[in-house]
Amino acid sequence: MNSIVSVSSISKKYQLPLSNKEVPKSFVNKIFKKKELVEYWAVKDVSFTLNKGDKLGIIGNNGAGKSTLLKILSKITKPTTGKVDIRGKVASLLEVGTGFHPELSGRDNIYLNGAILGMSKKQITQQFDEIVEFAGDQIIKFLDTPVKRYSSGMYVRLGFAISAHLDPDILIVDEVLAVGDADFQKKSLGKMKEVASKEKTILFVSHNLTAVANLCNKTLHLEKGYVKQFGETGEVLNNYLSAMQNNLLEQSFDHIEEAPGNDLVRLKYAKLTPALIGNQLIADVRNSLKIDIEFWNLLDDQNLNISLHIFASTGECIFNVGTQPKLLNKGVVQASLTIPGYFLNDGNYLVSFMIVKDKSIVLFNFEEVFNFEIADFREDTTWYGKWPGYVRPQFNFPIQQVSQKI
Amino acid sequence: MSFISTYRINQVRNDLELLLILAKRDISVRYKQTFLGVIWAIIKPLVTMSVFLFAFKTVSNIRDLGGYPIQLVIFSGVLFWNFFANAFQFSSNSILTNSNLISKVYFPRIIIPISALSVPFIDFIIGFIIYLILSSSLNYPISYQIMYLPIVFLFLALFSLGLGLIFSSFAIKHRDFLQIIPLIVQYGFFITPIIYTSNELISKSWFQYYLYINPLVGLVEFFRFSLIRGYHILSFYDFFISSMISIVVFILGLFIFKYKEDTFVDHL
Repeated sequence: MNSIVSVSSISKKYQLPLSNKEVPKSFVNKIFKKKELVEYWAVKDVSFTLNKGDKLGIIGNNGAGKSTLLKILSKITKPTTGKVDIRGKVASLLEVGTGFHPELSGRDNIYLNGAILGMSKKQITQQFDEIVEFAGDQIIKFLDTPVKRYSSGMYVRLGFAISAHLDPDILIVDEVLAVGDADFQKKSLGKMKEVASKEKTILFVSHNLTAVANLCNKTLHLEKGYVKQFGETGEVLNNYLSAMQNNLLEQSFDHIEEAPGNDLVRLKYAKLTPALIGNQLIADVRNSLKIDIEFWNLLDDQNLNISLHIFASTGECIFNVGTQPKLLNKGVVQASLTIPGYFLNDGNYLVSFMIVKDKSIVLFNFEEVFNFEIADFREDTTWYGKWPGYVRPQFNFPIQQVSQKI
Repeated sequence: MSFISTYRINQVRNDLELLLILAKRDISVRYKQTFLGVIWAIIKPLVTMSVFLFAFKTVSNIRDLGGYPIQLVIFSGVLFWNFFANAFQFSSNSILTNSNLISKVYFPRIIIPISALSVPFIDFIIGFIIYLILSSSLNYPISYQIMYLPIVFLFLALFSLGLGLIFSSFAIKHRDFLQIIPLIVQYGFFITPIIYTSNELISKSWFQYYLYINPLVGLVEFFRFSLIRGYHILSFYDFFISSMISIVVFILGLFIFKYKEDTFVDHL
């Protein structure tokens, strides 16, 4: 076989201490009793082979074992069982600027970081000017300043510039593309593509499916440590996306006794429906989202309204929107809301809503009714960094040439 | 075949370069943002010696140790001990202090504890130059015996590194080992003939066994033998025993480190 990377059924076990609060611990017990450990397989029975020039994208949710797999492939840690066979020089970029010493100058750190990443002194000296130029004008000025005085942007640019000039046979990359400002990202992605076009083998972990689709010919989908699928990128991504869509964003309660709520109001039905376009499988920034709510009102003659909040996964409230208050009687009450497309940016969001009486008294707060994800969508772009912000509006923003003279 | 061997040679050369650059990093960072800089490497052993001179000469009225100039005996002892203490401490802590490297990049892990010897080595060289000045100012210049210095220093370095390898390997999982290190460094100073000579111990019945347990006893006397003209308290056989024990500790350290290094990351 012509394989350059061959991974045969590797597994990695971690042992985590079990936190058992029920057993009272005496001092003696604490010291002498062997701690109970739970076994946890971060990676289980993973196998695949890559040929020279293959670009592998590794995808999966948080905790799927992507980082552990990269650490095993980079030889940073050993698999509990299984075998990895890699032929050629490996460089792993799990972080930008690994081993930078804050007290040392930019110049010294180029040599230090280069050596840590496996470059010889000769190679670094030969490419020194290129590295500095790639990092940008600011770095040239502060080449002999300790890097602790650098801005975080400069730090990252210098780190990436060194990584970009490595010349390994196999490159292992962990989302380092998502660094720096837009301008620098464009530059680094260009460099990445230049590297990719050479006869190099790349293993690339990313949350950014667009980047994976563009850079990688093969994709490995991990789920809870297992290989869910390994194969051609298009096929794997399609299955990955349709699996994500299966998380139905719908809650329905037939019996009032089981429904969440209290003696005043109870939830009957809630559904979030993205308006998908064509054969689209997962909601992205283009789609509008419809939220339908039905609840049981248990008292007559109430002046009620619904107040709905959307939160980012980081906890900030993106917006709060309310219905008009209305005089309602015992029975089922229905409301629906449409959030237009090109409003929310890509990311994870939570929906909560509360039923309010007389515009001030909260009867019940239905928390985290939906937890949904919006994917990114871009056309004709060469930049795949995270689009900043929580909203993604498309405002009219015309640009034109007003004169040809300078 | 030839491809593989040049690849290996390049690899070894890269590893050596990495060792040197890490050593250089530690040395250049050591006295950053200090006003006196490397002069601290001169001040520290001189202060230690002065304190003991004060105690011995002024308080206890001791004029010489085993018949040799008290300054030279103490300064050589302190020089020896400072190297051991720092080399042992730095190499034991090296894996933990460089955990950011270990968890992100692969390279032979042994490079890190070896490079940790660089700072103690530079301090030692500076201390040695001071010793040369001190000894000639006392009309006790070094003799041909100095040619043994590289050998005894090698054994000292191997022993310190070996102990460092053992402690760093265990300390990653059980930080208890880090608590033991200062105890060894503090009290080892007094149970090893650093501020006295073996003359005071040699007549004891347990002394031969003590040489086996604490190879630093033989090494420090061998060290003084190379530095102080006419200094001769222990036999060459005693030196030999201590040297062999140092080698054993070093090899043991290598094995333990080799066995443990693959899983360092899992415990950081």
